[in-house]
Amino acid sequence: MSVLSHAVPNYLAAVWLGAVGLAAVGWWMHPLNGDDVVALVVLCVMGILSESVKENNLGVRTGLSFTSIVLLSSVALVGPFGAAVVGAATLLAVNKDRVEVRVFNSGMTSAIGAVGGIVYLLGWGAAHVSDFSGAGSLLLHVGVPMMVADIAQALSNALILSGIVRLTQGTPIRRFVPGMLGSSGPIYVGYGIIGFLFVVLWIPAGVGPFSALLILAPLFVARWAFVQYGDEERAHERTLSALVAAVETKDLYTRGHSERVAILCELMASSLSMSRSEIEALRFAAMLHDIGKLAIPTRALRRAGEISDDDLVRIATHPARGVEMVRDIEFLEGSIEAIRHHHERMDGRGYPAGLRGEEIPLFARIIAVADAFDSLTTSRSHRDAYTVEEAVAELHRRAGVHLDPWVVAALERGLVRRVWEPTRLEPRLMATAGRAFDHDDPVASDLMADRAGPALASSESRGADPLLAREATP
Amino acid sequence: MIGVAIAMLGAILTVAAVVAVGVRFREQVMLSTLPIVGVFFVAIVVGEIFRITLPGSRRAAPMATAASLAFAMTVGSAQMPSADYAGPLVIAVTAVAMAVGVIPNVVRRRRVRLPDLAIRLIGIAVAALLFREVPVWEGRTVLDLQANWPAYVLALVMLLISALGLIVEMFLVAWLRAVRSHAPLLRTIEDEFRAALALSAALSSTSALVALAERPLGLVAIPLFLFPLFLTQFAVRRQSAIRRTYRQTIRTLSRLTELGGYTEVGHASRVAGLSMAMGHELGMSERDMLDLEYAALLHDIGQVSLTEPIPGGATVLAAPADQRRIAHDGAEIVRQTGVLDNVAVILEAQTTPFRQVREFGEVLPLSSRVIKVCNAFDDLAGHSPDSAKRDAAVERIHLGLGYEYDPRVVDALVRALARSDQ
Repeated sequence: MSVLSHAVPNYLAAVWLGAVGLAAVGWWMHPLNGDDVVALVVLCVMGILSESVKENNLGVRTGLSFTSIVLLSSVALVGPFGAAVVGAATLLAVNKDRVEVRVFNSGMTSAIGAVGGIVYLLGWGAAHVSDFSGAGSLLLHVGVPMMVADIAQALSNALILSGIVRLTQGTPIRRFVPGMLGSSGPIYVGYGIIGFLFVVLWIPAGVGPFSALLILAPLFVARWAFVQYGDEERAHERTLSALVAAVETKDLYTRGHSERVAILCELMASSLSMSRSEIEALRFAAMLHDIGKLAIPTRALRRAGEISDDDLVRIATHPARGVEMVRDIEFLEGSIEAIRHHHERMDGRGYPAGLRGEEIPLFARIIAVADAFDSLTTSRSHRDAYTVEEAVAELHRRAGVHLDPWVVAALERGLVRRVWEPTRLEPRLMATAGRAFDHDDPVASDLMADRAGPALASSESRGADPLLAREATP
Repeated sequence: MIGVAIAMLGAILTVAAVVAVGVRFREQVMLSTLPIVGVFFVAIVVGEIFRITLPGSRRAAPMATAASLAFAMTVGSAQMPSADYAGPLVIAVTAVAMAVGVIPNVVRRRRVRLPDLAIRLIGIAVAALLFREVPVWEGRTVLDLQANWPAYVLALVMLLISALGLIVEMFLVAWLRAVRSHAPLLRTIEDEFRAALALSAALSSTSALVALAERPLGLVAIPLFLFPLFLTQFAVRRQSAIRRTYRQTIRTLSRLTELGGYTEVGHASRVAGLSMAMGHELGMSERDMLDLEYAALLHDIGQVSLTEPIPGGATVLAAPADQRRIAHDGAEIVRQTGVLDNVAVILEAQTTPFRQVREFGEVLPLSSRVIKVCNAFDDLAGHSPDSAKRDAAVERIHLGLGYEYDPRVVDALVRALARSDQ
C-alpha cells in the first residue's frame, strides 16, 4: 500500500516532467512566433472552456471531447510548443474533478499536445499553413500530417492513462490500451477531420478565431442531443422497471421476481460474453417475460388444492398474452421471441410451441434458467426457499431434460462472481397471502408437461378462445 | 386548406424561378459554374433522402437544408468565378433536387408532406434572394459588397442571412401547425422555436462553414464541411428515436390495466387522444402536453393495486374515497420511476373536484382538470359512435359544472367533440 501511495504522485510528476521535456523539444523544432500569440491565447481559452464543460457520465459510446479537437488544431496552428501550452492551460478549467485529477489530466493533455506537434512536423506537416492553398496541397501538407498526429495523440493518451489505471486499479496495460483504442478509436478519426476543417477555416479561409464559433456550433448541438439521449434512455429504463415492479407488488410471491430474473440473465449473458446490445435486449425480455400473466384471472393462480386442467391451460397462455402486449414496441423486437418461448423445455414438452433443444431461442433458454433459479430460491407457501447450492444442484438435475446444460453452466460461472441471496419471506406475510400456484416452479413445469402435454402445446391457438378472451376482459 | 395554399406557393415559386433561369439561360448557366451547381445538387438530393423525424413528428432534412443554404451563399473567388450564378438558379436547382430526393421516400411509401417541402423551399429562397438579389446598400447586393469585407464579417452576415431564412421557415411551420391543431399562434411559434432552435443554429453555422471554405478548398469543401453536421444529425436522430421508444413504452404500459381486466379496452388511449385535443383548445404548450399525454395514458394505473376490478373499470362510478385512493396509488407508482414527477403530480390531483379551487383556493393543475373531464366523458359515453349517448354524457358532465368540473375545460371538451364530428 505504501508503495502505491508513493507511486501515484511519482507517476504524476513524471508525466509533467515528460510534458515539459517534450515541450522543450517542440520549441527547438519550431519556436513560437510572435504572430502566433493571439492564436495561442484563443486556443488556450478554448481548451479551458472545453475542459470545463466536459461530461463524464456520457459513457464511452457517446463521449465527444472538444479538448481533443482543440489540441489537434493547436498542433497545426501554433506548433508543438504551443500545443503543449494549450494542454497545460487546461489546469485552469473549472469542473467537478478533484485537484489531483485535474493536475494529472492537464499534464497528460500537455504531453499529448507536444507529442502531436512533434509527430506533425516529422510527418512533413506545414509549419506555416498560410504558405499553402488549394485542396490538394492543403490535404497533403496539412490534412495527412494532422491525421498522423491524431493517431499519435490517441496512442499517447491511451498509454499515459493506462499507467495511472494500472497504479490505481491494477488493470494490466496490455488489456487497457487495446480496450480504450477499440472504444474511442473511431471517434478519433472524427476529431482528425474536424481539426483539419478548423485549421483550414482559420488560416486559408481567413476567418481567424471566429472559426471556433462556426465549427463548434454543430458539435455543441450534437453533444446536447447526446446528453438528452442519455437522459431519456435512463428515464425510459427506470420507467419500465418501476411500472413492471408496480404490477408485481400485488402478488407477494412474485414481488421483485422480474427484476431478479433480469439481473440473473445479465449475469449469464456476461458469462456467455454477449454484446452490449444483446444484453440490453435480453434484459428487457427478462423484465417483461411474465407481463402476460396480468391477463390470467387471479383466481386461476390462487386456487387451493389440486389445480384443474382448465386453469393450467389458462396459465399456459401467458407468454402469448405477453407477446400480444409488447408487440408494438419497436425496440423490443429482439426480445419478443424470448418472451414467447420462455416456458419451452429441452425435451420438447414445454409450452406454447413445444420446441425442443436448439430450436428454442437462446434468450428464452436463458430466461428459463433464471426463472427456475429465482423460483427455487424464493419461499413458497408449501416449502422453504432453497439455498443457492441446492438450487444449482436442482438445475443440474434438470439440465438436458428441462433446461439447457450450457446455460446452467453459465449461471454457475456467473454466481461465482456475484453473491446471491435467496429471497426468504416472513411466514406471517405468507400466512396472509394464502396459497398460490407458482407456474415458474420447475415442479410446475413437470406437472404441466405430464398432465397437459400435447394439449398445452397447442395452447397458443387456444389463446384466441372466445371463452378465455371473455374472462380476461370482463 | 392552408396546407394546399402553402404547397401552391412553393409550386409557383419553383415555376417562377425556372422561368427566370430560362429567360436568361445564357447568362445564368455557364460552363464554369456547372461543377459547383452539380455538387450542391447531389448534396441536396442525398440530404433529402436521409431526412429525419424530430420529436413532435417534425420532419427535417438537415444536410439538404444546410447544403442549399450554403448554395445560396457561396461566393467563389475573383480568380475562379465558380459561383457566378443568380438567386433564381439556386431556387430552381434546390426545388428540382428536393423533388428528386423525395422519390425514394415515395417509393418506400413513407409519407411526404408537400407543404413541409414548400416551406423549406421558401426559407431557402429568402436566404438566396437576400444574399444574391436584394440591393442592400447603394443598389448593390451582399454578393457584390462582400469582396471588400474581412472574412469574419462575411461569416457574420452569412449567419444572419441563413438564420433569417430559417426563421421564416420556422414561422411558417408554426402557422401551419396552429391552423391544423386549432392552437393559438403565439403558443405554436414558441413551441416551434424551442424545438427547432438547436438544430437551426447548427444548420446556420454549417451553411456558413461550407460557403466560406469553398473559397480556399473548392468543391471538396462541400462534403467535408457537412461532416460536423452529419454527427449532429446522427445524435439528433438517436435522441428522437429514444423519445419515440419512450412514448411507445408508456402507451403499452397504459394497456396493463386493460389486459388485467381492470379497465375497458382502449379507454386509456381514448382519454389520451381527447385530452390532447382539449389541450390544443386550451392553448397548452408542447411540454405540458407531453406530461398531459403521459398522465392521461397512465391515469388508471393505480387500479393494478386493486384485488377485484371495478365493474367496467369506470372510476367515475366508484365512491369518491376509492377514486382518491386509486389516484394516489397511481401517483405513487409513477413517482417510483423517479423521472415522471410532473406526471405524478397530475395523477395525484385527477379526482379533486373543481370546487376545491374556488372554495379553498387549492392549486389544481390544468392537466388534472382535463383528465378528470375526459375520464368522466369516456366512462359515461364509452367507445360509442352513438351521438345520443355522447350527448347524454356531456349533459351529465354539465350537471357537475363548477362543482365537480372546471367550466373552461368542459367548454374545451364541447369544442373538441364538435371538431371531431366535422
